[in-house]
Amino acid sequence: MKRSIIGLMAATLAVAGATSADAKDYILTGTKGNKLFLVDPGARKVERVYDVPGSGGIVQTVPSPDGKIAYLMTNQWGGVVGLDLESGKPVFSTDFSTSRQVRTKSVLSMDISPDGKELFVHQTSVKLGLGEYEVLPTQIAVYDTASGMDAKPVRTFPAPRRVNMLAMSKDGQTLYAMSWDFYMIDPKTGKIKGEHKIQGWDRANASPPDILDFWPLFEQTNVFSTPYFYARTDKDPMADPEAFKTGILTLDLKTGEYVMDDFENTSAIIFSSVVSPNRKEAFGVYTQLSKIDLEKDELVKRIELPHTYYAVNISSDGKEVYVGGTMCDIGVHSAETLDRLATIELPGCYDMGAGGLRMIQR
Amino acid sequence: MLKLDWGLRALAGAGLLLWGSLAAGGAAAQDAEAVLKARCAECHERLPDGGLNRITNMRKTPEGWHMTIVRMDIMHGVKTSPEEQRALVKFLADRQGLAPEETASYRYILERTPNIVEDIPADGDVGTLCARCHSFARIALQRREANEWLKLAHFHLGQWPTAEYQAMSRDRRWWEIVSTETPKQLGQMFPLKTKAWGDWLKQPKAPLDGTWRVAGHRPGVGSYGGTMVVKKTGQDTYAVSYDLMTADGKPLKGAGESIVYTGYEWRGTAKLGNEEVSEVFAVSKDGKSMRGRWFLDVSEIGGTMTAVRDGSTAVLGMSRPYVKAGETARVTVWGAGLGPSIDLGRGVTAQVVAKGADHVVVDVKAAPDAAPGLRDVTSGQAKGKGIFAVYRSVDTVRVEPAFAIARVGGNGGKTPKIPAQFEAVGYINGPDGKPGTDDDVRIGPMPASWSFDNNGEVAQQMEDAKFAGAMEANGLFMPAGAGPNPQRAYGTNNVGDLLIKAAVKDGGATVEGEGRLIVTVQRWNDPPIR
Repeated sequence: MKRSIIGLMAATLAVAGATSADAKDYILTGTKGNKLFLVDPGARKVERVYDVPGSGGIVQTVPSPDGKIAYLMTNQWGGVVGLDLESGKPVFSTDFSTSRQVRTKSVLSMDISPDGKELFVHQTSVKLGLGEYEVLPTQIAVYDTASGMDAKPVRTFPAPRRVNMLAMSKDGQTLYAMSWDFYMIDPKTGKIKGEHKIQGWDRANASPPDILDFWPLFEQTNVFSTPYFYARTDKDPMADPEAFKTGILTLDLKTGEYVMDDFENTSAIIFSSVVSPNRKEAFGVYTQLSKIDLEKDELVKRIELPHTYYAVNISSDGKEVYVGGTMCDIGVHSAETLDRLATIELPGCYDMGAGGLRMIQR
Repeated sequence: MLKLDWGLRALAGAGLLLWGSLAAGGAAAQDAEAVLKARCAECHERLPDGGLNRITNMRKTPEGWHMTIVRMDIMHGVKTSPEEQRALVKFLADRQGLAPEETASYRYILERTPNIVEDIPADGDVGTLCARCHSFARIALQRREANEWLKLAHFHLGQWPTAEYQAMSRDRRWWEIVSTETPKQLGQMFPLKTKAWGDWLKQPKAPLDGTWRVAGHRPGVGSYGGTMVVKKTGQDTYAVSYDLMTADGKPLKGAGESIVYTGYEWRGTAKLGNEEVSEVFAVSKDGKSMRGRWFLDVSEIGGTMTAVRDGSTAVLGMSRPYVKAGETARVTVWGAGLGPSIDLGRGVTAQVVAKGADHVVVDVKAAPDAAPGLRDVTSGQAKGKGIFAVYRSVDTVRVEPAFAIARVGGNGGKTPKIPAQFEAVGYINGPDGKPGTDDDVRIGPMPASWSFDNNGEVAQQMEDAKFAGAMEANGLFMPAGAGPNPQRAYGTNNVGDLLIKAAVKDGGATVEGEGRLIVTVQRWNDPPIR
C-alpha cells in the first residue's frame, strides 16, 4: 500500500471542514423521463422530485460544491441544465451545439471548479455537411455558471479524444481528464501539464488495463477511484486463475497522489467504486457489492445484490453505502457488514439507467 | 402481395418498411431517377460527371441499398413511399450492384443463415475494427474507394460518438486508425471498380421464365423437392407457382412473386403450404440454376433450395440421404431429366415404386456387406455426386450447428422469440478410423431424442436449464419469454448457457452428440444485413 498518510489526514480535514454542524447527507440521482430525485438516505425516503427540462433522460449529475445547484447533462447528451434545488427552477442551461452545422455531444464527462464558478465539459463534435459528416477534434468547453440560460462557453481548448470522466483538483489548478491515460490539464489554458499512465503503464507481463467508468463518485472524500482490469501475459488464460487481475485506481484530488493497486484475481465485474472517508476502504459495485481494503490491497467481503447496480456512494460518516443506477431502487448497506439496511424505491419507478448517484449536504 | 413483417422494423423503431415489399413488382427507371433528382439531390450534390455525391461512389446489394434508403428516413427524415423505395433499390442495385463473384462468399448474410461462424481475413485489423459489431460480410458486400470508405468512418463516429469508447475501441487509438489506415485497406480489399463488375454489367442476362426442378432441406422438418414454374410479369419480375413434395410424400403447393436485382439477385415472397416465406436466391451466371434460402418471418426458420431448368439433367436431392447396410428404405429422389431407374452403386439396389417428371420413388436395399461411404446417385444422364451414404454403424453424432444462439422474446414485448434449430447428424469414421477428424463421412440428419442441461458451473448455479426455454421433439429450441424474471437470481432475464444433447438410436445402440446453445437477450436492431 502506497497511499500516503499525509493525504489521508488532509482529506479528512477537508471533509470535516466542508460540512456544517447541522447539514446532512442527501443523494441526487437523475433518471430517464428527466426526473431528478433528491433522496434523504437517513430517513430512507425520497425528499423531492424535480422535473428537469429536456429529453433523453439525465445522464450525468454534477452538484455545485455548495450543494445548491445540480448540473444535469440531458437532451441526448447534448446539453446541461443547472437546477436550483431550492426553487426547483433552472438557473443555467446550455446547448453544446453552437451552430446547425456542427452537432456536439459529451460522453458524460463533466466537472465543476471548487468555487462553483466554472463548469468543464468534454465534447465531441461532428460537422454536418450536405452529403457527408466530418468528425472534428475533441475539446473541453468551459462555461461560466453565472451565464444563466442559453450559456455559451467562455473558452474552449483542444483535448484528447475518448475522455470518459473529468475531475477537478481541489485547488482548482488541475483538470484531470481520464482517457487512455489520466491527463493533467491547466483549466485556464488547456495545456496538458502531465499525465498519469493507465494504458501506457510499464508493468511487466501485463496487458494494458481496461477501464470503462462514467460514474464520478469522489465528492465525499476528494479521492477519485475506479476499478481496472488487465490480463497477465505470462499466465495461461484458460487454466490459471492469476491470468486476470482486478485493481482499484485512486487519484487524490487534493494531493495528486496516484495509485493503481491490484486487489484480486478477477472474479467479479465491477462498474464503479467509491473510497470511504476513512481512506482505508473502497466499495465497488455491479451485481455484487465488494468491500476492498486499500491498505492491504485485498477483498474484505463481497455480497450478492438483488440485481445489478452501476453506481455506489457513501455517507459522510462512512457508515452507510448506497447502491443505485439501473432500475429504480437505491439500496442502503452497512459499510461494516455490507448487510442491506433498507431499500428506497423511487416513486413512479423511474429508471436511473447510467445516471449515477451523487452526494450533497444541505 | 406485401409482407410487412421483418427487416427494418426494428431499425426504424416504428413500422417503417418492409423488406418483403421489395419483391412485389418493379418500377420504371424514370421513377427512380425522378426520386433521385427530387429527394436525394437536395443534399447529394450533382458531380461534374453527372453523378450524385456519395450515391454514385459506391456499390451495394439490394439489401444494402434498401438499408441506406431507410436510414435516410430515420436519420434525415427523407420520406419515400414503398413504391419509390422499390424503384430506387431496383435502379441502384442494377447499376451499382455487386457481381456474382463478389457476393459468392458472403451469401449467408443475405440468406440470413443462422449461426454462421465467419471466416474473417487475418490481414489487417478489419475483423476487430468493423466486424466486432457488424458481420464481416456486411463490410465485404460493399464496394467503395478509400476516400469513400473514409467518409463512412466519419459517419460512424459522427453518428455514434460512443463508438470509440466501446470494447475493442478504447484499447487503441481507434479514431486515429479508422480515419487513416482502415479506409486505405478497405479500398484495396473492396474497391469500387473491379473487372468482375465491369464484365457482369456487359454480360447478357437470361430471362428466368420457364419450368424449374427444385429440391432443398429444411432443418427440423426434412427435405423436399418438386417443380417451380416461373412466369414473367414485367421487367425482371415474375409470378411463381410451386408444386412440391415433402420427404414423407405429402404435397406442398405454393405461389408467389419475385423480382430480380442486378441480373441475378432473386428476391421473392411466397405462400408455401400455409406459411409465408421470403426467398433470397442467386441465379447462376449462365442463368441455368438458382441456389439460396427461404425463411419465415423469424428467419432462423427456413430451408435451402437448389433449382435447375427443366431440360437439364441433375439429381438435386433425396428424401433420405442414407441407408444402413443390410436394411431397406423408401427414398424419393428429386431432380431434372431423371432416367427410368436409380443407380446407387455396388451392393445397393433401388426398385422403382413410382416416377414423375421431377422425382423417382425407390425402395432401396443395401446388402449387409455394402461398402460404407458416400455414393453418387445416377439416374439416366442425371447425376448427384456423393449425395447418398451407406453405413454399417453410426460412429458419431454431431449436433449441428455445434454452437448456436437463441434469443428471449415475446412476453408482451415487440421482439419475437428467436429459436435455434438443431439437427443430429450421423457420421462414420473415415479411413483413419478415428472420430472427429476431417475424413469423417457425413451420413445425414437423423431422428433423435433431444435434451439439454446446464453448461458449466455458472449455468448450474443460475439454473439456466430451468429457465431458458424448452426443446421441441424436432430439435427446435424455443427460448423463454423476455424481461426480468423475479424468480431468478438477480431477477435476471431468462438467458442461459446450455448443453444440447441428441441421442440417436442405431440398432440396439444409442449414439449421443452434444452442442452448445447460448440463450441471450433480444436483438433490438435487426436490419436485413446484420
